[in-house]
Amino acid sequence: MFEIFWNMMKEEWRIHSSIFGNFMFALFPIVLLFFSFAGSLVIPIFIEILPLKQVILIAHYSFVLLGLSVGSFGLLGREAMNRRFGHASLIAYSSRNLPISDKRILLNFYVKDIVYYFLLWILPFVFGFAIASQIISVDISYALLFLITLTLSFLIGLSISFFLSTVYVHSLKLLIAIILSLITLNTFFTIYLKIDILALLPPLVFFYNRSVFQVFLSLLIIFVLSGLSILFMKVEYTEKKRRFKDRLEDLSNRFKFSNYSVFIAKDFLDLDRSEGGVGKIIFSFLFPIAIIWVMLYFFLKFVPVNYLIIFSILLGVISSSVYNWLTEFDLFTSYSFLPVKVSTVMKSKIHSYAMINLVSIFILFLLAIWRNELNYFAPALLTLISISFYTLSITIYLTGLYPNVLLYNAKIFLIYVISISPILLVMIFLSMLDPSILFISLTLLLPSFHILRKSYEKWEEWEQPSF
Amino acid sequence: MENIIEVRNLVKKFGDLTAVNIDSLKIRRGELFGLLGPNGSGKTTTVKLLTGQIRPTKGDAKVLGISILKDPIKIRELVGIIPEQENPPSFLTAEEYLYFVAKIRKLDNIRKKCEEWFKFLEFEDQRDVLCKDLSRGTRQKLMFAQAFIHEPTLAFIDEPLINLDPIIQRKVKDYLMEFVKKGGTIFFSTHVLEIAEEICTTIGIIDKGKIIYKGPIKELKKRRQHLEQFFIKLVKES
Repeated sequence: MFEIFWNMMKEEWRIHSSIFGNFMFALFPIVLLFFSFAGSLVIPIFIEILPLKQVILIAHYSFVLLGLSVGSFGLLGREAMNRRFGHASLIAYSSRNLPISDKRILLNFYVKDIVYYFLLWILPFVFGFAIASQIISVDISYALLFLITLTLSFLIGLSISFFLSTVYVHSLKLLIAIILSLITLNTFFTIYLKIDILALLPPLVFFYNRSVFQVFLSLLIIFVLSGLSILFMKVEYTEKKRRFKDRLEDLSNRFKFSNYSVFIAKDFLDLDRSEGGVGKIIFSFLFPIAIIWVMLYFFLKFVPVNYLIIFSILLGVISSSVYNWLTEFDLFTSYSFLPVKVSTVMKSKIHSYAMINLVSIFILFLLAIWRNELNYFAPALLTLISISFYTLSITIYLTGLYPNVLLYNAKIFLIYVISISPILLVMIFLSMLDPSILFISLTLLLPSFHILRKSYEKWEEWEQPSF
Repeated sequence: MENIIEVRNLVKKFGDLTAVNIDSLKIRRGELFGLLGPNGSGKTTTVKLLTGQIRPTKGDAKVLGISILKDPIKIRELVGIIPEQENPPSFLTAEEYLYFVAKIRKLDNIRKKCEEWFKFLEFEDQRDVLCKDLSRGTRQKLMFAQAFIHEPTLAFIDEPLINLDPIIQRKVKDYLMEFVKKGGTIFFSTHVLEIAEEICTTIGIIDKGKIIYKGPIKELKKRRQHLEQFFIKLVKES
């Protein structure tokens, strides 16, 4: 049992380090540690604006969010690995040709993911805080407390995501029913019973009252959800031939307004036909948006900023993840023997990106109506478009057609964060002065186009890797 | 006869490893040139270099008179390529993929051309299957079709017959021989010596990145020398 786990750990490390080297990959947690350290140093300033309770709540839910995204990646993102390495080359697929059951493999895989992300994310984060705690005069015991509660929060997020994606594999209708029930329950508790349901997260409660019962409750949630997921996990190695009616020409004709119509049509078919399809959109796009929506609701009670504008800024950053899906299905090796430039593929992805992001605009519009803030819709829309394109241009410049791989390179990740966060902070600051000022965000489009032009030159020069 | 491919001091290094180091190589119009070599000898890297898929560390080559350094896209526009690993995009059907390639190549009468290839290679019943779900043999047929759909005058084909059944193999071999008879040129990379012996007009043997022999297949036959023995002897000596 332990041997499978240990070899999976080695395999995971080698997959990443073979792409950008042992050293650069090992730097990733150190970069996180640095960010956590720097972030913790400003806590005394931060709590002048926001009550400490809210800061702690946000920290815990950030880790729930991380767990949610990791859990969905663990199940849906396998497809990407699958294409890169083939069904049989990862231990996760070895139940096909070795006498090991799927469930045993999956259990090992799950534990491996937990340990891996604990070492890669949680530990560096808590270490960063522990070092900073000595400077900002916070008792070091809080670091230990954070280690427990943040780990539990992460595991709760992970098990929820694991459970929901297992439900999704069985029935989309059941998944929608569960999500709707949760929303209804949340509304009922919040509006009718006036209970702050977010504050009931067991690890968060444990943080304040140190009741062992809360740890027990957390573990119960984690074990029940994970156990059910492993028990009902459907592992399918599709040997069947899937047949589809020819839709490429039709779709391509619909996108005739673009020079890249056939590429865009292909992108849409990829999204539609790949495993996970709608589920992928729910887990990696709509889910984070919904959580940020809820978190902002609590956060902004205490900060004098416009909800719609802040949401548009964050939506702009999240929407750039659409580029990650678009490149996930396409390896340049599929084009390298055709008369196609790297920049042509990139430009086609930008066109697809713009089209899919109409969903983000629609979400923003719905929110403006719901909050009766249509007067702020125009600056919020411009902010969304500008931030989204700016983030996209930075992503493309740094990672080309491989964001899903290269963003795990510590150096690239650091440059990515440094290039984006100051812009976000300036935007948030400006929105606090006057939301209408954000018309100025349009000026971001100029550097974005410049960066994109430079990206084409840069990646055209590179020999395209095969990962 | 005019040289379709001319290589001068072409070197490709991957770190410390010299994968290809060819001083000179000339392929003439109408040749069915077979590049033979053991595993890891540099065959696929040579094909990738000559089609501008990777850049040389040193040197240059001209394909159809075009420098691989100056205009690799133009070369890929004019030639047909069957890559070593058949990897059409996963989520298009076979028919959609041929349409996709034909659109990229800006062809007319796409449907008619696709139809002809499905018929010729006998996989009409697989046209609506996702590329990722096709058998290796059918995928190879698809890659063959995409390489010749624009009727190129030069094609680079890397192990194109390995997964095909004997009936289709025969068809493909006849097609290739007919193709060069009509003035086309084929650069054929393989380590299946029997096929090379049967269809190639000229062969080159590459080992450790260097061309260690080039000559017409007729010469070997004249000397009553078996290609397999000749190949093993030469590679061992090198």
